[in-house]
Amino acid sequence: MKYDVMVIGGGLAGLTCAIRCAEAGLKSVVISAGESALAFASGAIDVLGFDQDSRPVEKPFAHIDQLPAEHPYRKLGTEALHQSLDFFRAQMAAAGLHMHSHKQLNHGRLTALGAIRPTWLSQKGTHALPLAAPAEGIRRVAVVNLAGFRDFQPTLLAAGLSRQPGFADVTFTLADIKAETLNINTRNPCELRAPELARTLRRDLFSQPNGLHILSSALQKAAHNADLLVIPSVLSEENDNDIITQLARLTGLNICEVATLPPSLPGMRIAAALKQRFRQAGGLFLEGDQVIDGQFEQDRLLSITTQLNPDMPLLASHFVLATGSFFSQGLASDHYHLSEPALGLTVSSTDNREQWSGERFLDGGQHRFSRAGVITDPGLNPYRHGEKIHNLYCAGAVLDGFNPVQEASAGGVAIGTGWFVAERIINAMARAPERHLQGQEVC
Amino acid sequence: MLNLLDTSFDHCIKCTVCTTRCPVAEANPDYPGPKQAGPDGERLRIKNPQLYDEALKYCSNCKRCEIACPSGVQVGTVIQLAKAKHGGFNKSPRDFILSHTDLFGALSSSAAPLVNMATGLKPVKKLLDKVLGIDERQTLPKYAQQTFRSWFRKEAAGQAQFERKIAFFHGCFTNYNDPTVGKHLLAILNAMNIGVTLLKKERCCGIPLMANGFFDRARKNAQLNLSQFTDALNDDSSIECIIASESSCAMTLRDEYPEVLQVDNHALKERILFASAFIARELANGNAPKMKPVNLRVAYHSPCHLIKQGGIIHTMALLNSIPGLEVIMLDQKCCGLSGTYGFKKENYQTSQRVGQAIFDQLATMTVDYAVTDCESCKMQIEMNTSHKVLHPLTLMAQSLA
Repeated sequence: MKYDVMVIGGGLAGLTCAIRCAEAGLKSVVISAGESALAFASGAIDVLGFDQDSRPVEKPFAHIDQLPAEHPYRKLGTEALHQSLDFFRAQMAAAGLHMHSHKQLNHGRLTALGAIRPTWLSQKGTHALPLAAPAEGIRRVAVVNLAGFRDFQPTLLAAGLSRQPGFADVTFTLADIKAETLNINTRNPCELRAPELARTLRRDLFSQPNGLHILSSALQKAAHNADLLVIPSVLSEENDNDIITQLARLTGLNICEVATLPPSLPGMRIAAALKQRFRQAGGLFLEGDQVIDGQFEQDRLLSITTQLNPDMPLLASHFVLATGSFFSQGLASDHYHLSEPALGLTVSSTDNREQWSGERFLDGGQHRFSRAGVITDPGLNPYRHGEKIHNLYCAGAVLDGFNPVQEASAGGVAIGTGWFVAERIINAMARAPERHLQGQEVC
Repeated sequence: MLNLLDTSFDHCIKCTVCTTRCPVAEANPDYPGPKQAGPDGERLRIKNPQLYDEALKYCSNCKRCEIACPSGVQVGTVIQLAKAKHGGFNKSPRDFILSHTDLFGALSSSAAPLVNMATGLKPVKKLLDKVLGIDERQTLPKYAQQTFRSWFRKEAAGQAQFERKIAFFHGCFTNYNDPTVGKHLLAILNAMNIGVTLLKKERCCGIPLMANGFFDRARKNAQLNLSQFTDALNDDSSIECIIASESSCAMTLRDEYPEVLQVDNHALKERILFASAFIARELANGNAPKMKPVNLRVAYHSPCHLIKQGGIIHTMALLNSIPGLEVIMLDQKCCGLSGTYGFKKENYQTSQRVGQAIFDQLATMTVDYAVTDCESCKMQIEMNTSHKVLHPLTLMAQSLA
């Protein structure tokens, strides 16, 4: 059976692309090698947080024109970027996950280490801090943990936040609401991760008629009259995260949920919502398999083979590579070269290993490998052995020409390029109806 | 000694994705989840075997941890092997009865009507529950009066006439409980000009034995089955490959023999195929049978062990080849039965909780049938919903013109 579109990679870029294609009526399949990097993400969508000199950006869309020509944003343009983000928001909303922005402006997102990061889209429950004056109207902050949860340390958050502009004179109250107070049975606090704590709370606390009230009065007591109450994002796995709305109403407090160490609930919500939308659009999601090779004929990719189906080539008219960067194994390195392991596409890199990384390990912006990736033309088609592949497109972190760590642009680039590539494929299929028909008949 | 050990579990980067995706950990708070039970626990067990955690018994071997793992760790296998090594199975008489499917199949099918009547009686179910710990709320599979092998005897001569052939690994369920799917496979392949032969001898693939700790028996079965495969392929050059119609059998023959039982099958592996993979390949090569429309709307449930072996795309190709058929894909969640797991009294509640999402989704759907490739998933869905469940091969057989 021949698919219209085969997307390699089930993360933010791959699924955004696949949902758009499936909704346009194309026969679409996604092949994903295990859970994507979304489970490790904050669940906020950054468009452009910092400029090329690492200064915070207030108006991300107004800044696109100033990016270098090879940047993926320059290839799609501001208009397409806007459309893609509107599409993404509508998809999330249809899955019950409402995300908010502040018109064209970035807002500040509080991290578990007390940093304030510029971002564009946030989930319900996160409190948006104005970037220009983040401490405005805040004199007392309460940082409250639940049941000794190990992946959230109020002391660290407070220490970090007190160093942010305007927070030096803010009073911090730190507290932990004990498991006994909440009547929950935690098996082993050392092993408790955010989703397990959310399930325990649902089972032992929120299933009780007065469960929410127990939590809200404990929070009120711990927070005193703080202007901002910061808690870890552990209350709900559900997309709508309705509990946080009810808590804000019951306590009358200004609550800010903070994404914790992986697995992060806000990131998992986006992953779940994307998969749900893709399935509802009629797409086929194949998980736990990895693409190992492609069968090319000159400038076209005919089929791919996978680890689990090495002898059964999988056919499609168009292919999308959205396998992520080094962390997701979309890019690889050995002692001498950087490479794209699935299909052997041309990658931007210098063979001088000493230039791959900077001297300061924790300064992500310094490392050149963060900017490396698959080289593409303005239509995001990649090259292989010097030949441009016309029915293969790249999207997301596998792309060259941008530094997601330094720019805080990973989300916007994934959504933007995923959507842009989908539009190109939809147009190509519409222009070649005879090929489309043929594709259907091969099954 | 450490360098002699398999330390591939150390590719784990501690991301905990497996635990977030483990259906048992979600349903049963006593199970610490695959990360702790697998790679984390393995480090401790290497240091001191006494650090083995009894809670590993709750693992249902669905393999969802391996499907979700972004680092390619064989989490489920690590857990299975740890249970084997550290006496993590109770191997009670009940577990012996539930797992030795071919032994009890052979005993029961000779007296099928009597056995079927008895296991359907309330007092008998109560007794099995109280004495053995087989949950009385479950419906035990019925036995067929005639085994598939004995039905096949009169077909054998006709099948031998085909130029192209495959050897069919029918598995215990098709042989002893319900031969329907085997008969349908025969009809489909014949319509594609391919004949079916059986192996001279066949033993249970071994998955229920492994799930209950009878590894020596499973290894013996694996060795016998593989030598039968080798003989069949060597003796008759018209036999192209071995085909299994049950997704868990296929996974076991292909993947579990080398990974869990350390029985080497690499010389044969690419010639052991799940039925829909073989049929999808034939369809892609232009060998499609003549088909008539089957105007039905069905909901497809993807079995965990078919996802694990990368077979969903082939079953979808098979279903999509049937004219008139409307296929709706259910959420790819575990049904919760996991073979013998859900029949055990101590697992009944977990099994029900795991499957609830699928039961709920099916309850809201107006479809003619549910469809799945796995006999165990079929039992679970039929016990817990009002839907009748068909094998994809049955639907395809219905569409043969």
